Amino acid sequence: MDFSFPKEYQLFRRMVREFCESEVKPLAKVIDREHRVPHETIRKAAKLGLMGVPFPQKYGGMGGGEIGYCILMEELGRVCTSTTTVIGAHTGIGAMAIYLDGTEEQKQKYLVPLAQGTAIGAFGLTEAQAGSDAAAIKTTAVRDGNHYVLNGTKIFITNGDIADIITIMAVTDPSLGAYGGITAFIVETDTPGFSIGSLENKMGIRGSSTAECVLQDVRVPKENVLGQFGAGFLTFMKALDVGRASLGAGCLGGAEAALEASIQWARAREQFGVPIATKQAVHFMIADMAAEIEALRALVYRTAWLIDTGQPHILEASACKLFGSEVAHRCINRALQIHGALGYSRDYWIELGWRDQRITEIYEGTNEIQRIVIAANLFRPYGMRIPT
Amino acid sequence: MRMVIPIKQILDPAGITVRRDKERIFINREEYIIDPGSKAALEAALRLKEERDQAETIAISLGPARTDDALREALAMGCDAAYLLSDPAFEEADLSVATLILAAAVRKLGGADLILVGRQSGDTGAGQIGPRLAEALGYAQVTDVYALAVENGAARTTRRWGKGYATVQVQLPAVVTVAPEAFPPRYPHGARIMNAYREWNVPVWGCADLNLEPSSLTPLLTFRGESFPPPLEPERFRGNPTTVAQEVITALTLHKLINPGGGSHGL
Amino acid sequence: MDFRLSEDQLMFKKMFADFCTNEVRPRGEQIDQTEQPPVDLLQKAVDQGFWAALVPEEMDGAGLDTYTYMLMLEELARADLSTALILSVHNSLVVKPLLDHGTDDQKDRYLEALAFGQMLGAFALTEPAAGSDGGALQTTAMPDGEDYLLKGTKIWVSNGELAGLFLVFARAPEGITAFLVERDTPGLKVGYREKTLGLRGVPCNTLYFDLARVPQANRLGREGHGLKIAQQALDLSRLGIAAIALGGSERALEEAVKFSIEHIQFGTPIAQKQAIYDYIADAKAQIEALRCLITYAAWLADSQQNFGQYASIAKLFGSRTAYQVTHKMLQVHGGYGYMKEYAIERYYRDCRALEIIEGTSQIQQFLIARDVYQAEGLKIRP
Repeated sequence: MDFSFPKEYQLFRRMVREFCESEVKPLAKVIDREHRVPHETIRKAAKLGLMGVPFPQKYGGMGGGEIGYCILMEELGRVCTSTTTVIGAHTGIGAMAIYLDGTEEQKQKYLVPLAQGTAIGAFGLTEAQAGSDAAAIKTTAVRDGNHYVLNGTKIFITNGDIADIITIMAVTDPSLGAYGGITAFIVETDTPGFSIGSLENKMGIRGSSTAECVLQDVRVPKENVLGQFGAGFLTFMKALDVGRASLGAGCLGGAEAALEASIQWARAREQFGVPIATKQAVHFMIADMAAEIEALRALVYRTAWLIDTGQPHILEASACKLFGSEVAHRCINRALQIHGALGYSRDYWIELGWRDQRITEIYEGTNEIQRIVIAANLFRPYGMRIPT
Repeated sequence: MRMVIPIKQILDPAGITVRRDKERIFINREEYIIDPGSKAALEAALRLKEERDQAETIAISLGPARTDDALREALAMGCDAAYLLSDPAFEEADLSVATLILAAAVRKLGGADLILVGRQSGDTGAGQIGPRLAEALGYAQVTDVYALAVENGAARTTRRWGKGYATVQVQLPAVVTVAPEAFPPRYPHGARIMNAYREWNVPVWGCADLNLEPSSLTPLLTFRGESFPPPLEPERFRGNPTTVAQEVITALTLHKLINPGGGSHGL
Repeated sequence: MDFRLSEDQLMFKKMFADFCTNEVRPRGEQIDQTEQPPVDLLQKAVDQGFWAALVPEEMDGAGLDTYTYMLMLEELARADLSTALILSVHNSLVVKPLLDHGTDDQKDRYLEALAFGQMLGAFALTEPAAGSDGGALQTTAMPDGEDYLLKGTKIWVSNGELAGLFLVFARAPEGITAFLVERDTPGLKVGYREKTLGLRGVPCNTLYFDLARVPQANRLGREGHGLKIAQQALDLSRLGIAAIALGGSERALEEAVKFSIEHIQFGTPIAQKQAIYDYIADAKAQIEALRCLITYAAWLADSQQNFGQYASIAKLFGSRTAYQVTHKMLQVHGGYGYMKEYAIERYYRDCRALEIIEGTSQIQQFLIARDVYQAEGLKIRP
């Protein structure tokens, strides 16, 4: 057992923290207010290799693995959940699907520019009646010579409108259902027929765009089938698993920032003639925050280690997302309470953190779905399949 | 063109609390960083390297084994090679001994066209290693440089001169000390950070490698202890706002906390 | 024991519900997005007696008892939380203290304007250094001939820039004292409006008093009795916050039930999923418990008993319920709940304020515990 980070990760964290403090944090409130994606941050991050942290260097990545990627997400999560979301959707699920299941040619053609950050990636699964229930997707792909023709509408697609490359799930054989009937396609967004419908007006993560993507007779060459034909469900489940671990890391960062702000404010704010840091009500809130944060940190990095060493990790990754988002929620909610009226004010960042954090309990599979995934993994050894 | 950058590793000042009243320094977090001046020197060197085809940048540092981390960070920033100068005989080194060792390392590297160091370090802040090194190697020197270009075997530098600037040109080889505010350092590329530890090496040179006799490394200065300035007493200003504002400005200026005359020279 | 509503109460409830459903509810989204108080809507509410809820019938008010007043706030909150809070502040924190402590002259001068829509009331207690700690007020009221000169800063004054009359608390020679201060008093400046997470239709301002001259005739109650007046007003107002929390929770539940019936996943409405209907059941249970609590506290108030402790209990429990219920009901909506086109998004932000305003939950906990220990003869300190 050795819980220390190797030195390259320590140096990487220091670099990322400096980058986040000077480049990302000052923009957090700005992009929320202006409701826009921080393109300038993405460009700077790309120059430092931060758009492809987990991927090997031979594919243009940084070679940091899941551990490195979790460090990035944690540090970003401390300062701006919008930026975490933009980079997370790009790396953690968009590019990750191609890395996990792409052919060598697909990786050279698509993963390299994604990892270098010269192209932006996204992940197209959710539809109006198919979010948590991925098998209910309606988008279709029909073979036509050397191409597939895609038709359908995807909603809630993070980065949808800024992406160059989107992994799209479509039904290729309705009779086969989720296993066998769904195929993943790599779609270049400048293909004719691909367009953006509405952009969502959200409570938080307003610095990341959430788009409706409309596919109307989009012709995709057959070389762009990602993974095995008909096995799209497995492709995106694998990508989502990895994505969930790093999502927990982002939550870890958010929770840490909430704790640190609470400590500082409790020292500064006086009521009844003494700093509120002397009140047990405050002690209990920050002590609970600290305990949950330590538990989450252990969970996140152990899961990252499982992924990097090629061990089974589905349950743990779901736990990262489930526990992480709920810890982050409790921490920022307590921080808001400790800050009182200041916490409720848009002059300070706590309310932004509170709004931003709320999505982590929902996206990439709601927490209810995570509980089902975890329970299914616990019952499976006994030969029991849980009906959803 | 060969550039050598002697860098220094210091205790991160953000992790230290100085309690004047207790006459103690509290180390809350023992973390070492590259001195900001050294980082600026690295940045200046890397910019020069990027401008030309044939250039190499070599970082060297004198210090205990942990200094390896500073050199790997220099590699991550973009240096081509890095050497750690470490030997039990170096442990007591003062400025004069450090100069000897660094000069020996430069000679072992086959000399340098340009040596870049920070104007002064963030801990001891003597600002002497540049000038001393130039003296020891017989190189030209320019200090406190804000802009730097190398052409036709000469360094064109812009340095502070009173309240203005002067352009100073020197023939290479030369030692240039740089003003940190003029060379904000780059972030290292993530992939280079990984490679700095996984792929690349930082050789260690001791007395034998540098042809130095331990007996020649006797420091001229010895450390006898530390003393603290008295704790600052709070000062209260009363009166009408205009007068008070003026008094506060004067007080802050006297304590060198602000410089209302303009410029940040020396800060 | 009789939990049925009287005929009067039923009539009022229906009247409130009609107005709130038809007039207020359709405006909620716009009020939040534009961050503008619904001035025209508030004017319309005058005719329905919303501004004169607590004014006795013989003075042409609605003459509501406490329980019916809670029904009014609940219905308002079901329609829009900002509107509910504006009227709660006006009625509980300005009109009621004036009725209870005002001189005939003061009532003659202000009651009609307050009751019939010419003047909205606001309550100015909180200061930068004194939020939950009312005793630490620094605003002063210096006697000057027939007047007082008020000096100091008040923050987080709800209704601030909309108000015509402020109930201000300041330190006079004999102690903290309440004053009725008109909007156009020289020396009073309504300043910075807070930008808030929710309740965006409630203007919340900083007030600056720079030697604002207030005649002695505008002192409410005796010098030094300010905190007692504030405490009494806050008791009613805190119960009102609980009613607002109830209305907010009910609306959240209503939205989630509707959504869970319409939204299909895995081939069935998500309402069929245990995870979802468990959330709904918990919300319903919390809501009904809260309703009983408010009913009981209102009965105490209407039968002239001390209800202060129950106001605190209802506020603590109610605001926590509203937060937990909106959180879970948003969860029922999944990704849709995070989008501004769904009312739950707004209710979640709005309801979060209830755990902070008019005494944080931590302060309510202290007040409740203080009363518990007081009964045992032990004095605890905040």
